[in-house]
Amino acid sequence: MPVIEVNNRGVHIQELNRGAVETVLLVHGMFSNLSVYYFNIAPILAKDFHVVMYDLKSHGLSERIAGGYDLEHMTNDLLGLMNELELGAVHLGGYSFGGLIALKMASRFPDRVKKLAVIEAPDPNDDKTRDIIDDYSREFLEHYVTNFTDTTRVKMGKRQMERNHRMYEYLFHETSIKSDMLAERDFFSSPEPDSIDRQTLLLYGAESNCLNAGKLLKRKIKGAELLEVTGDHNIPIQKPVIIGEALEKFFKHG
Amino acid sequence: MDTIEVLKQFITEVIGEEFVEDMDINMNSSFTKDLEMDSIEIVSFSEKIKAHYGDQIDFTGWLSNMDLDQLINLNLGMIVNYIDDARN
Repeated sequence: MPVIEVNNRGVHIQELNRGAVETVLLVHGMFSNLSVYYFNIAPILAKDFHVVMYDLKSHGLSERIAGGYDLEHMTNDLLGLMNELELGAVHLGGYSFGGLIALKMASRFPDRVKKLAVIEAPDPNDDKTRDIIDDYSREFLEHYVTNFTDTTRVKMGKRQMERNHRMYEYLFHETSIKSDMLAERDFFSSPEPDSIDRQTLLLYGAESNCLNAGKLLKRKIKGAELLEVTGDHNIPIQKPVIIGEALEKFFKHG
Repeated sequence: MDTIEVLKQFITEVIGEEFVEDMDINMNSSFTKDLEMDSIEIVSFSEKIKAHYGDQIDFTGWLSNMDLDQLINLNLGMIVNYIDDARN
């Protein structure tokens, strides 16, 4: 369980194929952890690349932190991690909220990003995204898990549910995550996405309620390619091999 | 030490002794249903296996060939058999 110090806090990371010349760095989504990549997607990429995955603050096995969930702080965290690992420029991939972090990173620190892959990043101004942040409750979690179960066939046991409930409770009631995320609602209409000049792949589920966000980003990011994959918002879990191979092809050949 | 005993020790380290006390961990125990391990706990468990057995096995490669249903249905016996086969 490698936990390293980045900006005086513990960050859980996992790496594969450290000897490779180029690095792919993967950012997971909100209320998730690096395992979304660990079992299938990262091993596919590790055939050619050094792969780095990390748990965002207060997620997975990383240290709990009360504040700094806006995209500026989250990209500061990512930059700190890259500096700590002595990584120059990397191929960067992000899923959902991690996709927003990846977009912000490519906008703020283009010299540290070779190619950019965005998987299912939602529009922060979308009502559905905001409702999730606004309406958290135990009932929400159970509803979310029930729906999640339908698409991924993962059923949480009592101990798992309690662990997840504690994480949600902490994030929603003891951190600034709600207000920080609501403050990002204009991110897509800001000049930042338009300023991205990295080669960009957008991966979205053909049945996802975030697909319009992908279409919007395609219009904003010059030369961006939008690839629709069968599935919904959970495509990295539903179609990990397709996602892994699409990322491998993009990072390897462009 | 038998492989299953090594793996039981890893499970105890990952999910905590207080939870393991009430469990009958055996070859048929599934990670998600019986042991109620969540994804990040299975990552920790996998890392312990990789650190312990090193180059003797390609645990990452073995796991990466599984689809979601296979991962969900993974039980302790399957890992014990994989490790024992790979080392012989």
